Amino acid sequence: MPSSSTISRWPGGEGRRALPFLLPALVVLCMVSLYPLVQGVSRVFYSYRALARQDVFSGWENFTLLLSDPTFSAAFLNSIVWTATSVAGMFLFGYALATMLNSKHLRFRRFFRTASLVPWALPGVVISLIWRYIFLPNGPLNAVLGSLGLRGPEWLTNPSLALWTCVIATVWMGTPFVTVMLLAGLQSLEPELLEAAAIDGASYIQSQVHVIMPSMRKMILIVLTLETIWTFNSFDIVFVLTKGGPGSASMTLPLYAYQNAFMYYQAGYGAAIGVVILSVLLLAVVFYIREVLR
Amino acid sequence: MSLRPWRVALLHVCVVVMIGVLTFPLILLGFNSLKSEVEIFDAPLGIPKAPTLANFRSVMLGTTFSVNMRNSFIVAVSTVLLAVVVTAPAGYAMSRFRFRGRTLFSMWLLATQSFPGIIMVLGLFTVLTVYGLVDRLPGLIMMHTSFSMPFSIWLLKGYFDKIPVELEEAARIDGCSRLGSLVRVVFPLSVPGLLAVATFSLLLSWNEFFFALVVMRSNVNYTLPVYLARFVGSGGVVQWGPLSAAALLATLPVLLLFLLGQRYLVSGLTGGAIK
Repeated sequence: MPSSSTISRWPGGEGRRALPFLLPALVVLCMVSLYPLVQGVSRVFYSYRALARQDVFSGWENFTLLLSDPTFSAAFLNSIVWTATSVAGMFLFGYALATMLNSKHLRFRRFFRTASLVPWALPGVVISLIWRYIFLPNGPLNAVLGSLGLRGPEWLTNPSLALWTCVIATVWMGTPFVTVMLLAGLQSLEPELLEAAAIDGASYIQSQVHVIMPSMRKMILIVLTLETIWTFNSFDIVFVLTKGGPGSASMTLPLYAYQNAFMYYQAGYGAAIGVVILSVLLLAVVFYIREVLR
Repeated sequence: MSLRPWRVALLHVCVVVMIGVLTFPLILLGFNSLKSEVEIFDAPLGIPKAPTLANFRSVMLGTTFSVNMRNSFIVAVSTVLLAVVVTAPAGYAMSRFRFRGRTLFSMWLLATQSFPGIIMVLGLFTVLTVYGLVDRLPGLIMMHTSFSMPFSIWLLKGYFDKIPVELEEAARIDGCSRLGSLVRVVFPLSVPGLLAVATFSLLLSWNEFFFALVVMRSNVNYTLPVYLARFVGSGGVVQWGPLSAAALLATLPVLLLFLLGQRYLVSGLTGGAIK
């Protein structure tokens, strides 16, 4: 229905009317988001020189140093493994839980749905501290293993286990968000869709893979991309749980960047690691923007 | 569709186990806060046999906890208020007006999600130094507000999209001014969206660790996450009883608020921000 009122259906540019509404947000975003981004990225061309006691222009030096730094390559590899396995874990548990919480045969549904959100509200530091306690050599996990007659390992200080303790804590922390999103997706599906699949004789797994997952495609993709971005960028868990150790066994890129910038006073080197993180995530972001704006 | 009884039973067992895994660590924290240091490691899984409030007492009286709690409170409440005031008009503009640069602005908002903390904090440090805001709460409030903005604007745009323009038009035909129709018609209808933004910003600010760690330099200016992380001594020695008590006190208030507000946040996320 065409309307002649002045607020309706935007003919052409309405910048002048939109500006007063947008101005506060634009000012804050320029000061606290755009400017810091440019300023932060520009740091990669400077290095701290002890002799001059200040940052001096050093061109691409920080990047060439990265290429021959074994801790950087370890952190890069760890970050990839950590993000990929954590996101896969969250998705697996989140999908299973969402499916079960959506079942109309489940009693106390409201209670279970609310309870499943608990880890979402906890500070990352608190989550990490709890898991640090759980993984202690004389902590609850090894107590359980001990009562089963097994000798539990030293989870946090064993080089081949440290990264996996971080994965477990990250999966625990991320599962509620995935669950709640996928549950909303499942609830928006037409019930006839599943009945039709059942009538066609599709097995449970078949109807999941061929009917349910494709109809939630967009939701699944956005949740996966968001969790990938958040996990790849996250700092709290590794910082509190293992500090990247032992050695660099569980070192990740955000933690290594922090250590360089704020413990070794190599802000430029830290920023260079940040630019590597940004380049990896740019791929994910382009994908995310395309899906959301589609 | 009906299921056989044993499958219904299996469903309940699976759900109880998974919900147990998701909530037990928090219960464990509650147990530890009431136990003595000896009992924490003698019976790591057991219910406290001789519950004591000694841990809470030593945290409240022997550390800067109450000051840090106050800091967290000031920062979180200011962030929530600022975020709502700044993002509500922006979300409205994104929903109602078609202006040049609108798509670019949307892309920018979505892209900020991926900016690495290390780069932002290095850049922000320069800004904060210029304004003398390093190690001060207003600096942290500004940062938290800016982190909450992209998602909040996006979420509110979704909410305003669902409020028909015709309602505003009707109000204006009835003699409301433009501002009047905003205040009397649009604002009341967008309250669930504003509550979603408030819940999201509260959680973000209260739990944020990295920027607070880098920018806050003195004990009395720490927010709770930094206070808790510093609890782990330099030698790795940890007093688990007091630490659990402090962590529990740092968690419960916002957990309760979140459980009240999650309904709005969830419907905001699934209705507007993501779908």
